[in-house]
Amino acid sequence: MVLEEISTSLIMWFSCALIPCLLIDAVAVLPAPQNLSVQSTNMKHVLTWSPVVVPEEIIHYSVEYQGEYESLYMSHIWIPSSWCSPTAGPECDITDDITATVPYNLRVRAVLGSQTSAWSTLKQPFNQNSTILTPPGMEVTQDGFHLVIKLEDLGPQFEYFVAYWRKESGAEEHVKMVMNGGVPVHLETMEPGSAYCVKAQTFVKAIGRHSAFSQAECVKVQGETLPLALALFAFVGFTLILVVVPLSVWKMGRLLRHACCPVVVLPDTLKITSSPQKLISCRREEVEVCAMAGLSSKELLGVFI
Amino acid sequence: MKAQCVPLCLLGAMLFLCSVHTRDLRRCLISTDVHTIEESFRGIKKAIQAKDIFQNVTILSPSETLHSIKPSDVCCVTKNLLAFYMDRVFKDHLEPNPQILRKISSIANSFLSMQKTLQQCQKQRLCHCGQEATNATRIIHDNYDQLEVRSAAIKSLGELDIFLAWIDKHHHGTSAA
Repeated sequence: MVLEEISTSLIMWFSCALIPCLLIDAVAVLPAPQNLSVQSTNMKHVLTWSPVVVPEEIIHYSVEYQGEYESLYMSHIWIPSSWCSPTAGPECDITDDITATVPYNLRVRAVLGSQTSAWSTLKQPFNQNSTILTPPGMEVTQDGFHLVIKLEDLGPQFEYFVAYWRKESGAEEHVKMVMNGGVPVHLETMEPGSAYCVKAQTFVKAIGRHSAFSQAECVKVQGETLPLALALFAFVGFTLILVVVPLSVWKMGRLLRHACCPVVVLPDTLKITSSPQKLISCRREEVEVCAMAGLSSKELLGVFI
Repeated sequence: MKAQCVPLCLLGAMLFLCSVHTRDLRRCLISTDVHTIEESFRGIKKAIQAKDIFQNVTILSPSETLHSIKPSDVCCVTKNLLAFYMDRVFKDHLEPNPQILRKISSIANSFLSMQKTLQQCQKQRLCHCGQEATNATRIIHDNYDQLEVRSAAIKSLGELDIFLAWIDKHHHGTSAA
C-alpha cells in the first residue's frame, strides 16, 4: 500500500518534471546573445555582443540596465534602455542610460516575433569612471598677433585645461581653463618674432579624472623687419607711380592732339627762304611801272566807279 | 622683551592656523554636480507634482528644518536626507512610466554616489550629528509617516527640487575634506 503510494507520487513527480522539457522540444529555442562587452571612450559608452543568427529571420534585441541603487534596494527592477528596446544591430549606445558614477548591470536578449531568448548579462558591472579619456583635438591659429585656440567639442561633461608658453628657455607656462569646446578662445597677444606653444587636456568632473596632455603645437609670429621692407617697397613704388603717371598722361595728350587736330606743314617748295623786306620793295617797283604807262590815277578811279 | 615676544607670536600664529584648519575639516562637502541631477528632475517635475493631491502639506518643511541648519550640521543632514530618500521614498514609489522611471533611477543612483562620498567623511568623524540635525531629520520622518505611504512618497519626490537647491547652496564649489 505504502509502496504503491510512493511509486505513484514518483511517477507523477517525474511526469511533471518532464513537461517543460517536452514543451521546449515542441518550440525551437532562440539562443541568447553571447560575448557582451562595453567599449567606453570619452564618456561615450557602447554595449556590444555577438549577433544571434537564425536563417532567413531578422533578429531584434532588447537591452535593460540596473544601477547599483536598483541592485541593492530593488533587485527585481530592470529598466529598458532609452534607445535599444528594441534595437536591430548587435550594439547599443548606452551613454544616456549611464547617468551616475556607480556600477551598472546590463543585460540583452534576442527577440523574434513573440519569441524571446533568455537574458544574457554582462559579466562585470560597468562603471563610467573606467572610460578611456583621450587628449582633445585642437586647432591653434594666429589672428594678427593674437594666439587663438579652438578645442574639439566633447560634450557638456568635459572641461579643458590649456597650457601655453613662449618658446624660449626659462619661459613661464600659463594655464587657462576653458568650459566649452568648439568655440575659438583667445589665449594671449604675442610679441613679434617669437614662437609660442600650446597643449591641452580634458577634465571630467563626474569621474574626477584628466586625460593626458595633447602633443604641443607651436606657432611663430612674424618679426618687425618684414613690415619695414614692405614699407620701403611701397614708398619706391609710390614714387615711381608719381613720375610715370603724369608722363603717360602728357604723352597721351599729345597723341590725341595730333590725332584730332593735326598741324599743317608747308611743303619745301613753298617755303620762302629770303627775307620779307626784299619782297615788299620788289612789289613797290611794279606799281610805279604800271602808273608811268599813260593813264592818270583819276581816270583809273573813274573806270572802277 | 623682544626675545620673549617672538615665541609668543609664533604660538599665537600656530593656534590661529590650527583653528582655521579644524574649522575646514569640520566641513565635509561633496563635489557631485547637483545641476545634472536638477536637470533630470526638471524633466519629470510637472508629472510628479501633478500626482500630489495633498497640496497644503509639506514633508521636508524647509522653514522648520532645512533653513535653520548650521554649517557644522550640513554633512549630517545631507547624509540623513539622502538615506531618507533612498531607504523610503524611492522604494515606496512604484513608477509605471518607463521615461519617469529612468529619471528617478538616475537621481537615485546619483544619491548613492553622493552617499559614498559622505561615508568617507563619516569614517574620518567629520559628519557629527548635533541635536538640531537630529530634530530636523525626525520632523521629516514624522511628516512622512502621517500620510498614506504612496501619497507620502509622491509628495516627497515632488519636493526633490527643495532638497537639491539646499544641497547646491551648502555644498557648492568645494570637494570633500
